[in-house]
Amino acid sequence: MSHDAHASQVAHSDDHAHETHHVNYLAIFIVLCVCTALSVIFDVVHMSKPITIVLVMAVAITKALCVMMFFMHLKFEGNWKFVLLAPTTILAIGLPLALFPDIGASYYTPTAPQVTIWAEEVSDYAKYHTEHVDAAAHVEPGHVEPAHVE
Amino acid sequence: MSHTAKPTALKMGIPIPNSKLGLWLFLGTEIMFFTAFIGSYIVLRLGSKGWPTDTHDTHINVFLGGLNTFVLIVSSYLVVVAHEAMAHKKFARARTYLLGTLILAFLFLGIKSIEYYGKISNDILPGHIAETSSQAVKKASRELEVVVRDRFAEYTSSGAVPTDRPNDIVNLVNQIAILPTVAKKPEGVSEGTFAALKESAPIDAELFKQWMILHQHIVANVSLKVPAIGPEYLAARAELKEGEKLPELEYAEVTSLLTKMKADKTYGDYVTKGVFEPHPVVYGNIFASTYFLMTGFHAIHVVVGMILFWLVLRQGSKLDEKWTDFVENSGLYWHFVDLVWIFLFPMLYII
Repeated sequence: MSHDAHASQVAHSDDHAHETHHVNYLAIFIVLCVCTALSVIFDVVHMSKPITIVLVMAVAITKALCVMMFFMHLKFEGNWKFVLLAPTTILAIGLPLALFPDIGASYYTPTAPQVTIWAEEVSDYAKYHTEHVDAAAHVEPGHVEPAHVE
Repeated sequence: MSHTAKPTALKMGIPIPNSKLGLWLFLGTEIMFFTAFIGSYIVLRLGSKGWPTDTHDTHINVFLGGLNTFVLIVSSYLVVVAHEAMAHKKFARARTYLLGTLILAFLFLGIKSIEYYGKISNDILPGHIAETSSQAVKKASRELEVVVRDRFAEYTSSGAVPTDRPNDIVNLVNQIAILPTVAKKPEGVSEGTFAALKESAPIDAELFKQWMILHQHIVANVSLKVPAIGPEYLAARAELKEGEKLPELEYAEVTSLLTKMKADKTYGDYVTKGVFEPHPVVYGNIFASTYFLMTGFHAIHVVVGMILFWLVLRQGSKLDEKWTDFVENSGLYWHFVDLVWIFLFPMLYII
């Protein structure tokens, strides 16, 4: 009897492994398509940038949840999913937060070429590279120096 | 019949196949892998005021990105119904769905290639992008120099202009300029080649002259309207009063010079092919780095998924229930690839 019970438990376990859930995958697919269309519409329609970001990311999270819950069957899995995915999710959120003060807020200094404007840049070039101006002045016409020697 | 009931064997672990647990652990590491890229992208972007978002600058194609999102969603749907068909032992149907997934994966990579071509053909590559006007001007001059060097290589490699210093273009130009007056053909050069090069020599000498004018004005940092070298330049400087300086080279002057050169009937084609539009894009290089890093690694994951589906499809009619777990695990992996794209699409293409 106990042997039967054990056999039944194993059989149940096997069933569980290949258990199919009655999910309307087509409906999920349609929701995902509508969400993608919404993302593109939010891009085309002129709205303030923060609103666009919030809307588009909300759509992305909705899509991600649909895929994870129904296509990846997480809705029907046991509590192991939390044990397995919680640490990686916490680290995933923590990484950008940890990097932000060092890199995000102060990666470029105010004097980096990316943040100087053309006029300032040219006058700085002339100020600190007068030797080039003088060198150019001393070149005879028709006899020019190569740009760089290979 | 009395007997002591044997204790039931303890069922350790969790009620899923080991392969599925392994796959989920792998996906946990994959989340960290892509988070490193996506997180760095978010941080760099928030720290770079003026990050390029104009599609004219980035050559991002929202339509193609949206189309690829749709392609991946359809493929994800086909994978999930393929697994359902496997669970119901409808193997032929499962094969059809997986074949559809594989075809869509090829389509995804094809669309991605078109997008990549759009960037490569506009030189939107890490380390290639000018971020300021002066960098754009210098980049255009360097590209023009390469065009001149390529043209001059025709003369040196064919032997029409014999030289032991083929890279010394400043001296080569004098030999090329007088080529039409050279009567005797050097040995080893065909009659047709020599005649063609004699004809193109004045054009290439003029191309060199135009590049050299630009180069000299960049070095001297003076407007194209005034001479940049020689006695005239020195005289103009000598006439300057205290605190005065010659007009400086302007970005607009260089772009109009390049437009004129590209329209030239003789050497215009060479310039058009070799010199990109000098268009500065602030933070363009870091944008290109993050774009290619994230989409490139995503594309590699797509290729791995294609290999997994191919392994199932090559079973042909031998496909049976032994492959059900494999199809489920491949499907989980493929859904993860779809998930990554779900976040990359808004972050790179829309925001």
